[in-house]
Amino acid sequence: MSQPDSDRSSSESSRRILSALADGDATSGEAERAFVAWREDAQVRATWHAYHLIGDVLRSDDLACAPEANEAFLVALRARLADEPVVLAPEPRAAEAAAAQPAVANAPAGAATRARGRWQGPMAMAAGFLVVIGGLNIVRPFSHGGNASLASNAGASSPLATGANDPAVVAAGQQTPAQTKAAADQLAPYLAAHRQSAMNAPFQMPGSDLRNVSLVQPAQ
Amino acid sequence: MTMLNPDPDAALVERVKQGDVRAFEMLVVKYQRRIERLIGRMVRDVDLVADIAQETFIRAYRALPQFRAESAFYTWLYRIAVNTAKKALVDLKRDPVTTLTALQGADDDDETYRGGLEPTDGETPEALLASKEIAATVNAAIAALSEDLRQAITLREIEGLSYEEISDVMNCPIGTVRSRIFRAREAIAERLRPLLDTREGNRW
Repeated sequence: MSQPDSDRSSSESSRRILSALADGDATSGEAERAFVAWREDAQVRATWHAYHLIGDVLRSDDLACAPEANEAFLVALRARLADEPVVLAPEPRAAEAAAAQPAVANAPAGAATRARGRWQGPMAMAAGFLVVIGGLNIVRPFSHGGNASLASNAGASSPLATGANDPAVVAAGQQTPAQTKAAADQLAPYLAAHRQSAMNAPFQMPGSDLRNVSLVQPAQ
Repeated sequence: MTMLNPDPDAALVERVKQGDVRAFEMLVVKYQRRIERLIGRMVRDVDLVADIAQETFIRAYRALPQFRAESAFYTWLYRIAVNTAKKALVDLKRDPVTTLTALQGADDDDETYRGGLEPTDGETPEALLASKEIAATVNAAIAALSEDLRQAITLREIEGLSYEEISDVMNCPIGTVRSRIFRAREAIAERLRPLLDTREGNRW
């Protein structure tokens, strides 16, 4: 049975995008489509492999390689990557991004990004403090006799728990205000990246809240 | 409108940094052969090459949040490959058994897990024949291209020119460059397809 025209043109359009992406010439929208297609379409993966194999052979015949070896390599690496924590790097702040990249034609999207950028820092800070307060509610029952041995263990091992009766000390972790602010500033982009990812990513990013709570859990 | 990136992998790298591990696979498929050849020039044992290449990509994945794009991604990746190979050679001299186990990601508790690869079949007569056949097919397909298509893909893949530079050299719009390179790849891939497809049709 012949392939319908619409499927064929869609498939050719996907391959055109892959070719441009291979050379770093895809627009951000095209790149987004390619990333989604890579996850869903085996033909896209095969095409990506073929294009790069062609490029390698053009550079040198000794880069020609039986596809079975490439496939086995990827399958093995996939298994190892599945055991790795997902990498997540903070995105550049809006101002830095605007300075680093040419203006984008899509004005509403640009405005939304700028608006989000203005709020990301303060929101991340606020979220950080909320998490600390939430953490206090977890730590305090133990330090008030609910579980003496656990509290004493925590007190022995964690600087956060040594002043458990004083919320201010707990929140600051016996750091100076300047140190606390520096730590919060350092953390803010990561919190923002986590939140951004949780809101926008096409896949689930589990545990961003757990990660925040772990900041106030005493190390055992 | 095109996005002009000095590093052709910038979009892929950013995507991985946003948490898309599957996008990292695209970089692996792109660079695996070149990384293995680089390692193969440092490590004599053919069976170790794939394991060190695996370790290279894992290290690159872990370190990607620290990648600041001060160099091209592939330059950074090559550096990791060289360091990983050097370390493997040093460790191998000091403690061969432990090093081999670590490189192959052995896990005694999980018999189904195989972090490393089976002994490579890259050097079997069948695999060598397949490689030669692929090289011959690509070269024959290149020779059969029209002059415009051959020049465009050669300037891109061999000379490493950007689309903008190629448009200057070929005196044509960037859109035409993009189209010519795509058509060249398609023409070559069409001839390669019988050698790359599995019986089931899908390999990846």
